Amino acid sequence: MKKIFKKIKELSSGEIMSNILDGSTEPDPSREQLKEIKKETIKSLEENPDFEAIVERQRKSFNLLYYSFAFIGSVCLIGVLLYLVSMLPRYGVENPRTVEVVKRYVENGLEETGAVNIVSGMILDYRAFDTLGESHVLFTALICVNILLRIDIKNMRSDYEDYYTIKRDVYYDMSHDGVLRLAAFVFSPCILTFGIYILLNGQISPGGGFSGGAVLGAGLILMSAGFGFDKVDKIFTLKINNIVTFSALTFYSFAKGYVFFTGANGIENHIPKGTPGAILSGGLILPLDIAVGIVVACTMFGFYSLFRRGSVASHING
Amino acid sequence: MTLEWIRFYMTAAFITIALSGFAFAVAGVWRFDYILNRMHAGGIGDTFSLFFLVTGLMISASAPIVIVKLLLPLLFMWFSSPTATHFLSQTEYYTNVHLFEHVKKKISGESNGH
Repeated sequence: MKKIFKKIKELSSGEIMSNILDGSTEPDPSREQLKEIKKETIKSLEENPDFEAIVERQRKSFNLLYYSFAFIGSVCLIGVLLYLVSMLPRYGVENPRTVEVVKRYVENGLEETGAVNIVSGMILDYRAFDTLGESHVLFTALICVNILLRIDIKNMRSDYEDYYTIKRDVYYDMSHDGVLRLAAFVFSPCILTFGIYILLNGQISPGGGFSGGAVLGAGLILMSAGFGFDKVDKIFTLKINNIVTFSALTFYSFAKGYVFFTGANGIENHIPKGTPGAILSGGLILPLDIAVGIVVACTMFGFYSLFRRGSVASHING
Repeated sequence: MTLEWIRFYMTAAFITIALSGFAFAVAGVWRFDYILNRMHAGGIGDTFSLFFLVTGLMISASAPIVIVKLLLPLLFMWFSSPTATHFLSQTEYYTNVHLFEHVKKKISGESNGH
């Protein structure tokens, strides 16, 4: 942290600061050098007399290969799809397999999962692996954005660019604005409370992990826009974000793995179902809903802050 | 029975006003070229028309809880829409280099909002 402050102080005393204030866009010197190297290689290639003939030959052979593979591939795909279509049941005729599954969900869903909201019972009990995969997709997306956009002392590209980004971020900080501050003051508690309500009511009413998590994430974004990143950073940093997301996903995997393992081997799993309609009902559905909601909220807020300023924690914000 | 009819007509009148306000808003957003004019037109739909729509629905509502619930979208929209508009106009003011050329044109009467 001290290193970063030192670096920013060094930069602010040098030429770079005056460049920023002038609004001039000085090109990166290393990039110029790269461009010249590229130009030189292209020149040397063009001076070669056989260059054009070689390129033309390669292009023709590539085109031949490309078109033949494209033709074969599309013919195969058309054949497979037509064959599969011929195997589908006719429209309007009752398909015994789908009816069986739907009947099972509607008739035994309440009894087997303990959730009044049958959709919740389906996505978090019968098809919990599907939801686990969806949560992992969100987590993977957050990791990728983190890798690509995070600004850190270790991966500063060139001093100029990132310093400029940080300065601009401070300049365009919206939290000094009275209108937004008032709106955030009035609404962020309401939105956060509403998000928690949706999250906890997943098994007895429409709602659940994904929608509740999205509302919670929106509330966090409004908070950080209205009160400034410093206020949110006191309770929520990149490290906390990663730890919370990881533990939520791990809990989900182990809890559902236990239930599936015991269920497949015909062992009692000792998880109480509770009375349908109460908040503490539905067995594992409520904790799993909370885990999914936490992952969604963390992903949304992480996306916002990474795209906004390239970091979740404030240590870079001189 | 008469009261029911009065209620129905009042609801119909309020909702008609609201819908015509929305029609003006849509026309304005489509017809104007400049962002601040468009924002003004859109704001009419978000505040004026929404107020009349919600009032009409409140008059036709049967239970008190429905009236309270209908107040919520009005409250949220009346807070969030001006906030968003405020930031849009602020961004336009700070980032548009040709802002004052547009204003000069307006004053001299060369441009008529198009």
